[in-house]
Amino acid sequence: MATQMRTPYLLLLILLLVLHLSLVFSWKKDEFRNCNQTPFCKRARSRKPGTCSLIANDVSITDGDLTAKLIPKNPQSQSQDEDQDHPDQDPIKPLILTLSVYQDGILRFKIDEDQTLNPPKKRFEVPDVVLPEFVDKKLWLQRVSTETIDGDSGISSIFYLSDGYEAVIRHDPFEVYVREKGGDRIVSVNSHGLFDFEQLREKKEGEDWEEKFRGNTDTRPYGPQSISFDVSFYGADFVYGIPEHATSLALKPTRGPGVEDSEPYRLFNLDVFEYLHDSPFGIYGSIPFMISHGKARGTTGFFWLNAAEMQIDVLGSGWDADSGISLPSSQNRIDTLWMTEAGVVDAFFFAGPGPKDVVRQYTSVTGTPAMPQEFATAYHQCRWNYRDEEDVENVDSKFDEHDIPYDVLWLDIDHTDGRRYFTWDRALFPNPEEMQKKLAAKGRHMVTIVDPHIKRDEAFPLHKEATKKGYYVKDATGKDFDGWCWPGASSYPDMLNPEIRSWWAEKFSFENYVGSTPSLYIWNDMNEPSVFNGPELTMPRDALHLGGVEHRELHNAYGYYFHMATTDGLVKRGNGKDRPFVLSRAFFPGSQRYGAVWTGDNTADWDHLRVSVPMVLTLGLTGISFSGADVGGFFGNPEPELLVRWYQLGAYYPFFRGHAHQDTKRREPWLFGERNTELMREAIHIRYMLLPYFYTLFREANTSGVPVMRPLWMEFPSDEVTFSNDEAFMVGNSLLVQGIYTERAKHASVYLPGEQSWYDIRTGTAYKGGKIHKLEISEESVPAFQRAGTIIPRKDRFRRSSTQMVNDPYTLVIAVNSSQAADGELYVDDGKSFEFEQGAYVHRRFVFSDGKLTSSNVVPNSPGKTRFSSVCVVERIILLGLSTRPKSALIEPANQKVEIELGPLWLRGGRAPAVLTIRKPNVRITDDWTIKVL
Amino acid sequence: MKPGSLIYLTLSVCCIASIAKSASLLSKDPFLGIAPQDEKYYKSSRDIIICKDGSNKFTRAQLNDDFCDCSDGSDEPGTSACPSGKFYCQNAGHVPLSFFSSRVNDGICDCCDGSDEYDGKVKCPNTCWEAGKVARDKLKKKISTYQEGVTLRTLEVEQAKLAIAKDETELSKLKNEEKILKGLVQQLKERKEQIEKAEEAERLQREKEEKAKKEAEGEVNQDNTKAEKEEDKEEEKPMDSTHDDRIGILEDSPLDQDVAEHHDDSVAGVEHGDYPGNEGSPTNEIEQHAVEETEAFAHETGLDAGSEVSADEVVELGRDVSENNEALSREELGRRVASRWTGENIGQQTGEVHAVKENEHEGHEETPTDAHDEEDDGYASETDDDNQRYDDDDIEDHIDEDFGEEDHDDSSSSYKSDSDDESDFSDTTTPRNPSWLEKIQHTVRNILQAVNFFQTPVDKSEAAHVRKEYDESNAKLSKIQSRISSLTQKLKHDFGPEKEFYSFYDRCFESKQNKYVYKVCPFKQASQVEGHSTTRLGRWEKFEDSYRVMLFLNGDKCWNGPDRSLKVKLRCGLKNEVTDIDEPSRCEYIALLSTPALCLEEKLMELQHKLELMNKEQPRRHDEL
Repeated sequence: MATQMRTPYLLLLILLLVLHLSLVFSWKKDEFRNCNQTPFCKRARSRKPGTCSLIANDVSITDGDLTAKLIPKNPQSQSQDEDQDHPDQDPIKPLILTLSVYQDGILRFKIDEDQTLNPPKKRFEVPDVVLPEFVDKKLWLQRVSTETIDGDSGISSIFYLSDGYEAVIRHDPFEVYVREKGGDRIVSVNSHGLFDFEQLREKKEGEDWEEKFRGNTDTRPYGPQSISFDVSFYGADFVYGIPEHATSLALKPTRGPGVEDSEPYRLFNLDVFEYLHDSPFGIYGSIPFMISHGKARGTTGFFWLNAAEMQIDVLGSGWDADSGISLPSSQNRIDTLWMTEAGVVDAFFFAGPGPKDVVRQYTSVTGTPAMPQEFATAYHQCRWNYRDEEDVENVDSKFDEHDIPYDVLWLDIDHTDGRRYFTWDRALFPNPEEMQKKLAAKGRHMVTIVDPHIKRDEAFPLHKEATKKGYYVKDATGKDFDGWCWPGASSYPDMLNPEIRSWWAEKFSFENYVGSTPSLYIWNDMNEPSVFNGPELTMPRDALHLGGVEHRELHNAYGYYFHMATTDGLVKRGNGKDRPFVLSRAFFPGSQRYGAVWTGDNTADWDHLRVSVPMVLTLGLTGISFSGADVGGFFGNPEPELLVRWYQLGAYYPFFRGHAHQDTKRREPWLFGERNTELMREAIHIRYMLLPYFYTLFREANTSGVPVMRPLWMEFPSDEVTFSNDEAFMVGNSLLVQGIYTERAKHASVYLPGEQSWYDIRTGTAYKGGKIHKLEISEESVPAFQRAGTIIPRKDRFRRSSTQMVNDPYTLVIAVNSSQAADGELYVDDGKSFEFEQGAYVHRRFVFSDGKLTSSNVVPNSPGKTRFSSVCVVERIILLGLSTRPKSALIEPANQKVEIELGPLWLRGGRAPAVLTIRKPNVRITDDWTIKVL
Repeated sequence: MKPGSLIYLTLSVCCIASIAKSASLLSKDPFLGIAPQDEKYYKSSRDIIICKDGSNKFTRAQLNDDFCDCSDGSDEPGTSACPSGKFYCQNAGHVPLSFFSSRVNDGICDCCDGSDEYDGKVKCPNTCWEAGKVARDKLKKKISTYQEGVTLRTLEVEQAKLAIAKDETELSKLKNEEKILKGLVQQLKERKEQIEKAEEAERLQREKEEKAKKEAEGEVNQDNTKAEKEEDKEEEKPMDSTHDDRIGILEDSPLDQDVAEHHDDSVAGVEHGDYPGNEGSPTNEIEQHAVEETEAFAHETGLDAGSEVSADEVVELGRDVSENNEALSREELGRRVASRWTGENIGQQTGEVHAVKENEHEGHEETPTDAHDEEDDGYASETDDDNQRYDDDDIEDHIDEDFGEEDHDDSSSSYKSDSDDESDFSDTTTPRNPSWLEKIQHTVRNILQAVNFFQTPVDKSEAAHVRKEYDESNAKLSKIQSRISSLTQKLKHDFGPEKEFYSFYDRCFESKQNKYVYKVCPFKQASQVEGHSTTRLGRWEKFEDSYRVMLFLNGDKCWNGPDRSLKVKLRCGLKNEVTDIDEPSRCEYIALLSTPALCLEEKLMELQHKLELMNKEQPRRHDEL
């Protein structure tokens, strides 16, 4: 009966759904809270400028910091403006403000409740993110000067930040900013008086703190505790950063005149099924670090260390027109509003002034990217799922058959026994060790997946042990939290707890992880954490961690701690000798220290190809250099043309991996006809050819934080044309790559910045800088150019894998600038151990000028304990843009003459253009030498 | 190579030199890696050699000097310097190999003679003799398979030709019978209509008379009227003997319904006897009912292939509409969300229960698919039996038993088809007796004469006789027509250039892999059976790749994915056997089918030639061993 009644209704629905097919199949918008459904966000967004009436009192120096108490200017009148969350009868307690100065122009800014007044609970401060070394870089404040600025009624306290900058705290109304010494502001907080800090308090009678969303109830036992404030960037043309969003590089305003109704940029780590390609919604990772950049001023950074849900509005110019507030230097000012659900204010101002300075300053706080294993910088082949050993063997041998190098084969969730991580489905993988050894014999590696959800199965020792030891995150009632993920009912280890992290790390030992071998590395997925039956597909906010910390307070850092524990496990496994490789989906500030991330479950369409570039660029700007998008797109079946274009672009991602959903057709590079195989092989070969250059850049990132893949403006900070360009990017400082994002593209407009020329890396053709070039596009490659004045090291011989290329000789490509000069670097180490930290590496600087190429150590030989030796030589030197036509070259100190002839620019792909080539100089890369062009 | 240049090379490859102090340096053979047929190209040139692609030129000293001068790699056949180069190893005792020169000195022994690794990093022993022996043995085995297979194939081809001829003969015979029977049916129909007209007149008359009475009594039985109306409608339809309308016309006939049903279920039909009377058994009805039930159910849960996507959405929507997660258990919610990524159907569990029900009915009808007798010899015995039976002039019988026979022979993987377009042979076997048609003709003549002068009131028994005779003849006609259509259908197929795949028609090959049983029915469809649920992997599409691949497309749809499909790669083997079913991409299956049909004579000669070559290249020193 019921069936009969329902059928026509269902049919109607089906019909309706078919009409809205695209909507239904993509992102499930309703499942996620928007700002209006998030009380703290809705409230903060509706506040009017100037609402904050706090003033800074008792400004003084304590322990080398500047401290102050924030109190309402007029407690009586204040309460009228407040809404229900601030009941009238509550006396407003003072907040403690602390300002500290660190080396290199970094101001730290903290606000918390006054612990001496015994608040109901200590608010959560995120541990293990700020480097201990950074703390040691604190400058002890000696003195503070005061002055009355402009028309202020009160005074401001001013103190030293760095040689060019000072920090200022205005007392009434309270405002904090950084300015150029005695000059213009560069970044400020609370200039619009939007600061608000909900202090913890006792629950009043009849008060309801619960929040409901789609059938989930958040008990909110501690009530409202949100924080919000405005941050202004001066002399800024654009703001960037705050990943992870699938959107443009330069952040678009989310509020203000002419801005369509938009959500704020949300920072809340979520497993979003089929995310959209242009949306401010939060996805897998969160880094509350924003960078402003402008032609006039340069670059400034603001970072708020807070792991609770955050929402950030970028306010369009004129948003405050009605506020009556007028700020000094309002030219090119960008205002932003930062809102978070919990935690404290622990923020950092970075004074810049250049883009690389800001990134360096930020990574001095959160750490520079780890030096990866060299193999991990090569090509990775993944699929959900390579099903069994035979499949693995087949795919592996097909790469050889088609002469396509690859370094890592990945196994997704279904290699395990019922999605119990650290186990193998022995029917499919009876001999995992042997399988890994077979790959290792070709210099290849394997990666298996280990997710944080542990199957609640009494027969699963890991679960039993975790239960017994009480290592799981607890639900609001104190029981082990029981959620649903791949294995079914699952629990999640409490990775906030260092003891549990160290327990977890032990699981990666060869004894514990049966079937693992030294060539096996790890992939952490679903660590947002993803909970299929949780609110917004994640863990309830009132779940409990170590020390009664609520999940809401650390949510965005859960994946970070999990990543950290896994990485530590691999370090332990190798007795601290083998560099770990762990790919994570969720991330937080500091994740760069633990491995790579990727942009999650993208889709096989052109828009996702396009958005991958700003996504990876943004990650790089915010410290996470080692990242990439799934080549080909995770969901859906890419047309061969899209797949080829994705390989051509993806070859320049710092992390280069092909991956696909289990419902998609197989798409290994040889499955689309000979021509497409050739094109994809060529794209992968480019990556392998450039591996020495990439590895050198990874080292640069490791030492300075400057990312491998960079926005154009990072290299050309005063060229406005580049500021919002996110279709092209730089790899290091020498290579510009332009993606092709449309079908059957015949032409592309490529802007080549700067004054120097650029050389097409395939044809050697020179193009003038500072111009937009309309270029013909072939199917063979995406446009890529070497900047004049640079030297790129290559390895032109291809092997099965990068590890087999270790002893192969180098090619140097010298593109001289208008003064016939160029320089570049080459960094080499053993590619896998930590000995480089003891000085076991080669870091050469090549300089070409006055017809002479010299090789010297970047860092003078340090008295390191260990040395790195290499037998590698430079077999070929290519000269582009030379105005003369030399016939030979003299090598010093060997005093040996070699020929210069016309040789191919490329050693593959049919006829390559002939270019000036120094033939077989065969100088060792470890030696000092000079080659003089005669 | 002069000693001087050797030193020069040694210096130039310092990468290698320091490691390989005591071991070999660059290869001593200046022509290393060059295929014999190419040697002339390099040796005949003087000092300057032109790159094969003409891109550049190089000196003799630059040949194999570990520096790439030609973009096609032709100056460096024996080193890894050119990425596009090819390295040739002679592999005396085995087959020569040519591969990417990126493999030279990469630490992996690629040539069995070890010639690709000469920098001393690894030692590659010469394993060509052993490996070659293994390869030769393998080749010999393959050749012997082919030899036997070629014979089997020839037999197969001969039989196929005979069988096709027989089919054609039957077809023309049936067409002839159809023509005659059609005439008779038409006559009977006219007579039946006459009778019915008369009856109708009588009935009207009676009604008129009784109307007055009945008006007082009350209401007319509506059911009766309705039924009659339907009858009327039926009769109003123009008599049309085309195949398409048959079912419509005869929808009340249980016999014909059976024919239709057997589109889904020919196994049962074939197993049953010849006589139509024992058909339309309750089993069939129950079964059909079960099918309908499943379909109806599938519609809701998304099991239905066609509407799977939208049905799946219903599940989603059902939730969204209610906007109430609490209504779902938390576990169910978890499952549902997980299913977005996995595509697993949430309704499946209940669906499977249903499928079980369906199959319980079906169960007892299933023929044991495995052979019991003469497994190894199955193929031969089948052909023997066939030959004998060809003498029998009873074609229907022959076909029947022929197919029956196939149930038991030809390896375990063959079983009766449960094809779509197969109609029930057993029905058409009814008119096998040559006198059968005459008998009908005779009966009809009698009837027509007897009731020629019919009058009112209609003789009830006469009328019943006519109706019965009409129904029966009509049923037989449609059976013949359906047999004609199925034969025509069958003969339309492409059985290969020599009809070597003829015997695949009406046969299925089965293979069990883990929990699945795969059924491949050439020219029909392929399916995957897990327990009691069946998934169609594809419908017959065509042969591909010069009859080396069978393609089945448009199978059941995958959630969020393509329609399922199956590619069956054929290879020479002595038995028809499906092996190695694989699903490399989701819902795209690949299977291997070994069959004598692929044992081609020319391929055999090719293999024999290859073996000759291998034997010729046997190095002498090994002969002495």
